[in-house]
Amino acid sequence: MTTRALGDAPQTAGGAPRRPSGSGLRTAARWLRPLGRALAVAAFVVVVTFLLIRAVPGDAVTTIAGPRASPETKAELREQLHLDRTMPEQFSAYVQDLGRADLGRSLVQQGRPVTTIVGETLTITLYLVFASIVISLVVGVALGLLAATRHGWPDVTVRAGLTVLLAVPPFFLGLILILVAGLNLAWLPAGGWPGTWPDNLEYLVLPSLALAGYLIPLVARTTRQAANDALAQPWAEASETRGLSRARIMFRHVLPNSLLPVVTLVGYNAGAMIAGAVVVEAVFGIPGIGQELVTAVNARDYPVIQGIALVSALLVVAANLAADLLVAAVDPRTTRA
Amino acid sequence: MTVALRTRLDRGRRRGASLWWGTGVLSAVVLLCVLAPLLSPHGPNEIVAVPFSAPSAEYPFGTDALGRDVFVRVWVGGRLDLVIAAIVVGVSLAVGTVVGIVSGATPRRWLDALLMRFVDALVAFPFVILVLALIVVVGRTRSFWFLPPGAPAIVIASLLVNWSIYARLARAETMSLRGSDHVAAGRMLGYPQSRIVGRHLLPGVVRITASYAVADVVIVVIATASLAFLGTGVQAPTAEWGSIMYEGRAVLGTSWWITTFPGLVLAVTGLAVTLIADALLKVER
Repeated sequence: MTTRALGDAPQTAGGAPRRPSGSGLRTAARWLRPLGRALAVAAFVVVVTFLLIRAVPGDAVTTIAGPRASPETKAELREQLHLDRTMPEQFSAYVQDLGRADLGRSLVQQGRPVTTIVGETLTITLYLVFASIVISLVVGVALGLLAATRHGWPDVTVRAGLTVLLAVPPFFLGLILILVAGLNLAWLPAGGWPGTWPDNLEYLVLPSLALAGYLIPLVARTTRQAANDALAQPWAEASETRGLSRARIMFRHVLPNSLLPVVTLVGYNAGAMIAGAVVVEAVFGIPGIGQELVTAVNARDYPVIQGIALVSALLVVAANLAADLLVAAVDPRTTRA
Repeated sequence: MTVALRTRLDRGRRRGASLWWGTGVLSAVVLLCVLAPLLSPHGPNEIVAVPFSAPSAEYPFGTDALGRDVFVRVWVGGRLDLVIAAIVVGVSLAVGTVVGIVSGATPRRWLDALLMRFVDALVAFPFVILVLALIVVVGRTRSFWFLPPGAPAIVIASLLVNWSIYARLARAETMSLRGSDHVAAGRMLGYPQSRIVGRHLLPGVVRITASYAVADVVIVVIATASLAFLGTGVQAPTAEWGSIMYEGRAVLGTSWWITTFPGLVLAVTGLAVTLIADALLKVER
């Protein structure tokens, strides 16, 4: 580390001290408040998944399994969902099952445990989400910095391109990629999933690009905004006056200041990314939770649908919590109500 | 700093242009959807030519696997997409704004906490996943009044989830308005709570939620098309942007026009609405 000279940028824009001068109690509250909130939200997520079918008037089993379901299917479903008991008993049984990581059994796939099904398919979905987050961060931050530093046509072009990209739904972008890069140019496989590494990598490129089409504009816009804000700070002008090179100002001072809003943006968009992945998987025939969900919806395999909804929502709560904690760790001034 | 000032001036000049472009393009799309029956003597489900005919002067978007005119299907389908979006956004806006104001203005802290954790939980679910789960519960193939089979389930399921975002926005705005001078003045003058909510809070809150509603139209249209594209939305043979694309994706390599044209129209509509929404948000700021 070089010693910090006068006028160099502090780690956070605005020049706040690194440590808050509050009591230990206030420091603890900064960490505990997001944690408590996340736990409360997780509890409500469980309640919502519980209520999903029970809030419907009429017989829940007929609603789920359909009027033409066999008596065996109905009986199995009734037993699995504990529908023969009172509401509070049902809820307590549901929570106890969750405590044992038991999400029930699939009604169609020879009674396979839902936990296994969700675990297998979610891993594949997370590869896709992770790959497109990496792409979005690299491309989005680069575009955002370009737009912030080069005023005039680069800024205008980048911003116009981002607005267009934002309007294209990921599944349409996926279809265009298949048509152009997959079929006409035959650069990359147009879909499918071999299931073994490193073969999967090749099959991951187009889907993750399609999904990144959603996140890149958001990352780039946030980076551009944050970089512009940072450049407008007095210390940026001071650094320029001191003769620091443009590159040093950008990479040592502006970039670190822009990363926090970008990383939290990704955390807060976890839900949208998973939802986008569901659709992109359908386009490319990737066997993740999206495909599993569509199969389950068509087969009225309710325990699988419920399991996927619950696990994906809890994942989103965790991602949001991570973003909240990151904000609390980096920027002591943010005390969220 | 000069850079910041210049950006601000730029913004002011360009706001008008993007608002005009957005409104113009959106009006054109809506007009084409409304006037769809006048564009061609054929109906959306009528077989007019050889299947998989490439785009030509007579059939600008080509024909699909059954020989139906994709051009007609796209504009007739757009009607349904826009109607679904209008219902979902309109009702979410009303319900969400009311719940948000109640949550933000109530003196009962527990009610506020309860409502907001429920909202947080709904927002936590990936939208498409929760809507799919609800569609199964509501009944996928049901039709209702003028809505074709599949559409009512989408409307109901989307509504059950979508109002929560408006509630969150409305609550945040209510909380910030509560501390403002004109609300304090109203309190000091002894106005009843109903008048403060109706005359001092509601107008400011609606400004925020209504500008979000514009952007939300795109989100709902894309979600509706996505559900149909998953094969779980509006049922065949009803035309809808996502369902046309779903039917065409198996022959993407040979008959690209079936999926590409509805996708392009969807993207152009999205772009127009994004331009309007961006311009409105800048006015708000």
